Amino acid sequence: METGTTLGAWCDGHNTRPLKCSERFPSASKMLVGSQVLRTFRKSYPGYVFIALPVAAISLFLIIPMVASFAISLTEWNGFQPPVFVGLQNYRILLLEDQKFRQAFFNTTLFVLLGMSVGPTLGLLSALLLNQNIKFRALFRTAYFLPVMTSLVVVGTVWRYLYNDHGLLNYLLSSLGLGSVRWLNAPNEILWGRLPLISVVVASIWQGFGFETVIFLAALQNIPKDLYEAAEVDGANRFQRFWHVTLPGLRPVILFVYIIGIIGSYQVFDQVYVLTLADFGPLGRTRTIVAYLYDNFFSYARLGYASAVAYSLFLILAVFSYLQLRFFSRQE
Amino acid sequence: MYGRITRWGSIVSFWVLLGIALAACAPAPTPVPPAEATPTPPAEEAPVTITVWDYYGEATPIEPLIAAFEAENPNIKIQYEPLDWDSINEKFVVAVSGGNSPDVVTVDMTWVPGWAPLGVFADLAPFAQGELNGVPLDEAFTAGQLESMRLGDQIVTMFYDFDVYSLYYRADIFEEKGLEPPTTWDELIQVGKQLAEDTNGDGRADRCAYLVAADTFHFSQFLFENGGSLLTPDNSAAAFNSPEGIEALRFYTDLILKEGIGMHWTEEDAVGGVKDGRICMFSDGPYYMGVLAAGAPEMAGKIRVAPHPGNVRPGSYLGGTGLSTPAGAPHPAAAWKFIEFAMRPENQIGVYTYAGAAPGLRAALESEEVNQPNEYLGGQRGLPVFLEATETAHHFPYVKQWAEIDEVIGAAVEAVLLEEKTPQQALEDAAAEVNAILSR
Repeated sequence: METGTTLGAWCDGHNTRPLKCSERFPSASKMLVGSQVLRTFRKSYPGYVFIALPVAAISLFLIIPMVASFAISLTEWNGFQPPVFVGLQNYRILLLEDQKFRQAFFNTTLFVLLGMSVGPTLGLLSALLLNQNIKFRALFRTAYFLPVMTSLVVVGTVWRYLYNDHGLLNYLLSSLGLGSVRWLNAPNEILWGRLPLISVVVASIWQGFGFETVIFLAALQNIPKDLYEAAEVDGANRFQRFWHVTLPGLRPVILFVYIIGIIGSYQVFDQVYVLTLADFGPLGRTRTIVAYLYDNFFSYARLGYASAVAYSLFLILAVFSYLQLRFFSRQE
Repeated sequence: MYGRITRWGSIVSFWVLLGIALAACAPAPTPVPPAEATPTPPAEEAPVTITVWDYYGEATPIEPLIAAFEAENPNIKIQYEPLDWDSINEKFVVAVSGGNSPDVVTVDMTWVPGWAPLGVFADLAPFAQGELNGVPLDEAFTAGQLESMRLGDQIVTMFYDFDVYSLYYRADIFEEKGLEPPTTWDELIQVGKQLAEDTNGDGRADRCAYLVAADTFHFSQFLFENGGSLLTPDNSAAAFNSPEGIEALRFYTDLILKEGIGMHWTEEDAVGGVKDGRICMFSDGPYYMGVLAAGAPEMAGKIRVAPHPGNVRPGSYLGGTGLSTPAGAPHPAAAWKFIEFAMRPENQIGVYTYAGAAPGLRAALESEEVNQPNEYLGGQRGLPVFLEATETAHHFPYVKQWAEIDEVIGAAVEAVLLEEKTPQQALEDAAAEVNAILSR
């Protein structure tokens, strides 16, 4: 090695086989990496300055609370007295013993299955209709989207009035001589006790499918027209055009709608809270995971346990999102 | 693959380490000092601002006191924060656990059993020194009220308004049918049968019914009236599954299931049912006089109150509103001054005149203003009926798990009303659940 040159600079010009110079001289490798990092930083530090604020904000309001919440989930803490470290006990009880959590998980999954079966389908159907050359298309689009912009509390309150024993729905049923139904408090004998949850699902679909309509409509308008023309020339009928052109064209949007929809649906809370007057009844049949989290945090002052519920929900969502991404990437 | 894992591992490790480092640097959650550690009240001569949280809403009796209090105490300013009853609970948990306690807060007396054992409230005993505005505490309040204000030797709240249940009934319909309000359970069924109408022939009342709600407030009334209790005297196990409890639940739910005179009520309040004739009898607290007057003014003169029909003995839950100071409040001495000011008899009368509720203080309850004939009740003096009920009322047990237990009991009543369990099954299952909660 020539005198007066650094080991890193010398290695730059003396790569050897079978071992690289940096592998033969590990200290040179570190120096090389260090100088590269410094060079890269010098080149791009304005970028780091620009992202510093968002990174700080995300750290402060998202990452740190998440880490803190995980730490709290390992404790028994009522918020008023010092927390006591209990390790994974909260998770053990939650996943192995807690019947209420199982009920909440089942209810939420049923809500997701029903909601995500009907909601996006309705959204796609309405988008297909609005994609035709019809009059007042903008008006319909706005009308479908209006409930999405309305507060969930307002929507919940309106639907609660509709579902009341003396509400509009029962008035219509009674007018037809069908008697009234306790939509939000039905006994076990009606739909295995699931009518209250189904009532919540219906209100949620009404509120949310306009979002999917707008997303699907935008995606439909981006599918090249010449693909349809080519399919038509090939003799494809309307259904075949939909199946072989429209659906593949919508695939990324369908993935987006389902991932966002499932994540949002698993976090359902507001409408259930309003519709059931915060008791998530009858007999906990409308209690969702977030409702159970809320109860543990605010009503029972079990902050550690509530944090464990939150992390369990996070894990469920992470698994579902991963599976969806895997499924759709295989399809690609 | 290895590179990806390393990269992702580095990113995750970075955020976790950063989070832990920052979390470690951040101040630890401020534990609430135990209430018994409250020192002898210091004199607060320097100007201070105290925060007052009030859940009364528009009809608040607290806000009108502020100007007079500030004029009398120029060194104390009040930051008044009106909150909803629905949300004050949540805000309180977050504020106190985060070390941002208000100085004075209105608390529902049904929340006190769950919070007080956790040391949430400052001990007001050193400030009160056995008196309130110069009157011995045992003269200022009834024995039942004093018991519910205390946790051991501590005083955790001051009874600002009280809530006990009595019977509201449609006096116009009673008069029309020549009926008197029932005084016993048997009479309740007899009177109910003469009132209730089954218009659709399903065997259940849909007009002029007795309101049956699946909650602990209403069920505990029947439980107490039948000689039962919610928990054992040492609060270590469920007691509502006693033979008295099972009989009480059977009677309560049979008002619908067997007698066909009750209506399973799931709406937010009873006002709508009283207005449209679905409900002719229901039990509730004195504050409901104000609720009805505001929500159903057209029913003025048609409603009366009477003692709720008893069985073995009279009984009701005892609740209401307390004025408390959280243990971490920055200015407890100034907060006590405000509480004492609000508890003066002349200011307590405002609980009735502004909010239509029953003042907690005995002197206010006996005052002429509060005992005026109530126009809405057709000239009846309503508060003495409720005052009488306080003598035999019971507060909910002081256990930190009360909120969970309350929910379990309500679900047991609901399971019977939905005909999914017998009263015995429902209460046995609920007792097992409550015992598990208590042993945690």
